[in-house]
Amino acid sequence: MVNTKDLEAHFEFECKACENGRCAKADVNSILSERKGLRDFYEAFKEHIKGCKRMTYGQYQFVIDREVLPEAVLWWHNHPEFKETHLSTAVGTDERPLNGHFVYMPFLNVQVEFANEPENYWVFLRTYLLADDPSFPSVAEKLPAALWIEREVKDLLGFKPVNHPDPRRLILPEDWPEGVYPLRKDMDYRHSPITEPKVEFKEKPEDTTLVPMGPAHMGIEEPAHFRLFVKGEEIVDVDYRGFYSHRGIEKTGEGRLTYNQVLFLAERICGICGYQHSVSYAMAVERLADVDIPDRARYIRTLLLELERIHNHLLWVGIAAHMVGYDTGFMHAWRIREPVMWLVERLTGNRKQYGMNIVGGVRRDILDYRKEEILKVVKQIREGTKTFLDVALNTNTFIKRAEGVGILPYKVAKAYSVLGPTARASGRKIDVRKDQAVKTATAYNEIDFKVPVYKEGDVLARVLVRMDELFESLWMVEQLIDQMPGGDIMVPIGKLPEYEEALGFTEAHRGEVVHYVMTGEKNKVYRWKVRAPTYNNLPAVPEMLKGYHVADAPLIIASIDPCYSCTERVQFVDVNTGKVKVLTEAEFNELSIKYKGVF
Amino acid sequence: METAVKLGFSLAGIIIMLFLPPYLDGIARRVKARLQYRRGPPLSQTWYDLRKLFGMPSVKPTKKALFTWAPYIALASAISAALLLPYGNVVPVDFGYNLVVFFYVVLMVSVFLMLAGLTVQNAFSHLGSAREMQVILTVEPLIAILYGVLAYNSGSLDLYTIMTGLHLTPSLVLTYILLAYALYVESGFVPFDIAEAEQEVIGGPLSEYSGRLLGVFYYAIYIKRFALLWFFISLLTLPWIGPIGTPEKAALVLALQFVLTVAFYPIIAALEATNARLRIDHVVKMNTRAFFAGLIILAMAFMGW
Amino acid sequence: MAESASYTEKLKRWDRFKAEKFSKKAPVTTPYPFIDIEKPPEYRGIPHINPEKCIGCGACVNACPPDALIMEWDKEHGVKRLTYNAARCIRCARCIEVCPTGAMEPTTRFEVATDNKEDLVEVVEHKLAYCEECGEYLDFTERQIEYVRNILPKDVFDAYALEDRIKLTQEEKMRRTVIKLRETEGNVYPAFMLVRETKDDGGEE
Repeated sequence: MVNTKDLEAHFEFECKACENGRCAKADVNSILSERKGLRDFYEAFKEHIKGCKRMTYGQYQFVIDREVLPEAVLWWHNHPEFKETHLSTAVGTDERPLNGHFVYMPFLNVQVEFANEPENYWVFLRTYLLADDPSFPSVAEKLPAALWIEREVKDLLGFKPVNHPDPRRLILPEDWPEGVYPLRKDMDYRHSPITEPKVEFKEKPEDTTLVPMGPAHMGIEEPAHFRLFVKGEEIVDVDYRGFYSHRGIEKTGEGRLTYNQVLFLAERICGICGYQHSVSYAMAVERLADVDIPDRARYIRTLLLELERIHNHLLWVGIAAHMVGYDTGFMHAWRIREPVMWLVERLTGNRKQYGMNIVGGVRRDILDYRKEEILKVVKQIREGTKTFLDVALNTNTFIKRAEGVGILPYKVAKAYSVLGPTARASGRKIDVRKDQAVKTATAYNEIDFKVPVYKEGDVLARVLVRMDELFESLWMVEQLIDQMPGGDIMVPIGKLPEYEEALGFTEAHRGEVVHYVMTGEKNKVYRWKVRAPTYNNLPAVPEMLKGYHVADAPLIIASIDPCYSCTERVQFVDVNTGKVKVLTEAEFNELSIKYKGVF
Repeated sequence: METAVKLGFSLAGIIIMLFLPPYLDGIARRVKARLQYRRGPPLSQTWYDLRKLFGMPSVKPTKKALFTWAPYIALASAISAALLLPYGNVVPVDFGYNLVVFFYVVLMVSVFLMLAGLTVQNAFSHLGSAREMQVILTVEPLIAILYGVLAYNSGSLDLYTIMTGLHLTPSLVLTYILLAYALYVESGFVPFDIAEAEQEVIGGPLSEYSGRLLGVFYYAIYIKRFALLWFFISLLTLPWIGPIGTPEKAALVLALQFVLTVAFYPIIAALEATNARLRIDHVVKMNTRAFFAGLIILAMAFMGW
Repeated sequence: MAESASYTEKLKRWDRFKAEKFSKKAPVTTPYPFIDIEKPPEYRGIPHINPEKCIGCGACVNACPPDALIMEWDKEHGVKRLTYNAARCIRCARCIEVCPTGAMEPTTRFEVATDNKEDLVEVVEHKLAYCEECGEYLDFTERQIEYVRNILPKDVFDAYALEDRIKLTQEEKMRRTVIKLRETEGNVYPAFMLVRETKDDGGEE
């Protein structure tokens, strides 16, 4: 590994906030004193901090030496005061066309205090890696939350996490050749090489039988491959191989999508939490463009987000019932769910994939004559769910299967940075809706709701957390209807600033969804990183499975509400900007028409 | 004349036993659908399914003969179990000591299902077979004890004689209750369909079966369920209606048996629909408890209560 | 496109279920496709190109995220072809929002089941404007130019002398500019500026 000192010699770091690019010399006091903890971090890693800036409200970035990366991440993650701080994910970017380096940037959700939005913030730890030696010390060695993140950048960008405990392939298929990295900018998106498949599975422990669950299995709706090593019926060890639905939507996007078109792609990352992705992406772009969207748009977004949460939780509880053979529960949960889909179809024009967002607001207004119907549906759902819970939670066999099964202890949940209801069922008091500043895109700061937290950590606790959340969401929908302000529903955004970064996030029904956007030239996106909550939750599933029965496996896997397509998503939409090409007149005309039509 | 009547009743029994079971499943499907606010398939849907399966070739993952023969042996066992039961006052196949034979042939269906699962190299089949075995091992002793109570109570091992010779004691009432549980478990209804759990072990022993062989297995299972239910219904009705002298009364009894069987199936379906599947350790625990309860009942029966 | 619903239409003709009787017994099961289901007016269905209104500007093509709308030029035959493929369409209705003439029409149709994929494709062909001077086709359709004529104020037309130039190809315009520049020596404007101005006006909208 080359020392960063060598790197400094030929590279000047850019720093927005500091005058000459070095925090040590510049007056950084104003930034460091904005939030609690920033100065402590600065003091602790003074030697290694090369720059710092405030990306946008509540999002801070430090440029640090890569040698101290594990220490820096752990400093935040294990902060004695900020108990629920977690490693959200990391972005790897090929910035060689810009500055000749790779960038690896883990970021953390720092929770100074629960539900204290002005105090909490995001910390980005940007490290520059050399173009010819993109290695960095592995964080995963000490923090399991980084296991997948580092395997991902290893696969897609060719970074080398030194001392990674499990450096197997994660995302790329088995027959993808070594040394070809799809996320690098010099890789053509049409290029899809194939070699001999090389399978790397975990060794089978002695005296165990292998039960392969998946890639196609009844209990798993989407392709995922759990290899259960069992003794009798008890699960001893688990190996996971997924990413069979890595879709590479980037091919559609490459080279022609503008920031507003990416929005529709973002909505299609997931089948059922698409709107969360859409809002997250829109929020990221609005943040970096520094636009405040109209209040009415924020309320409409929040309304739809909560309606989505309601039907997703009902869907999930149905699936959980189905997994233990309680099909009546399954059918009734989905029957109760249907009016929400019916309602949303009337509000947005579609049952799913609402297509309501546009960067800067929403596309359709909610008409007054539909308000009545919203309230009617809310009432209907509340009664229906109450009856359903009354029946389901009094079904002995169902409770027997869910109680005390798949226990995820608090410590493991924290170490894996588990998110959402899964984390809240294990006693983690986190919720991005309350923790972080979502007020630029949504209206959560203006309405009242509680965040249910259970300590048991079993499947039943996950059921109860979700059902409590559902009732909170119903209450929120009623408030939103009451308080909805009038006015515009969108502000147009012209040109985006170039090479700016920002993060957009929402609390989806599975946990926090994070969209990192870095803009390129000409209103395009240079780097778009999506992290669905299942990406953080799924690595913890093997921990939950160990010691339970094969019969419990489908229920336990389902209990985190996994969404494989979200997790395995579109990696990015990268656009080859700055590439000079001689256009024919016809092409030129096409382009000139193109960029007029968008805005 | 008497032979003709006997032949007629046997024929009626055979027709009922061959054609009713899939319709019973159709009833169950309909009842479940209604409980779920759905319309549900037509009553003969199970027949359509079977017809489709019978018409399709089977994919055989192994060359072992048992894989091919197991479904047929299971079907034969199920049919012979059904033939040992009284239809009206006629038992189509009567050897004497029918109770023991009935116990064994019913068991054979499960055993061949289990063995079939073990012939293939499939972890799910093996898991399913292992579960089936655990269920059999825990529920069969219980059934044996309960049959013992019945035999002791009536002083016979012949099914028809038992059914006509039972006299009401407290132990017999308890036996009926426990027998209902044991036969329900043996029939493999939810929450005891652990061996064939779809979400967990993809159908267990059946996971490698397809086409005609799968159809035969399903048919065997439906007939077995019918046989167990018919047996229980006969136990409930026959002892208390007095001697059956005339063919007219026998026909009435047969009709009663038929109606009660059809009427009981919706109850079973409702039970199925309102329960989640149990785990194998739960079932083993429950069966063990029931076994000890059975021992107590047996002791009671010996004391003459 | 009009044929695409035929499959379900055929099914409906069977009329096997009476909807009222049906819903009383089992409230969840609907005998779809044997009945019509309610489509709210808000529903975003398959869009439809109204060939009478379409001017072939391609605004919808630029806005379309999944490339369901494609624009092709066939200069040999003087045709500009706008193709809409409902199989690629994600029903986001962006095309309807950006259409300057309202030619992209929303519908509430959603049934795309068909045994012929061509049913899902709509093609609108436009005549390209013809440059009399150089004998070639322009990149713009005749309707586009007509539309520009209608919406641009008269004084703009006069100021740029568009009436003469609007039906010329790019080359011809450039050639004329160069000639003009040669004629008027000492012109302060660089040549490209003149070219660009005229080009802009020739565009859509």
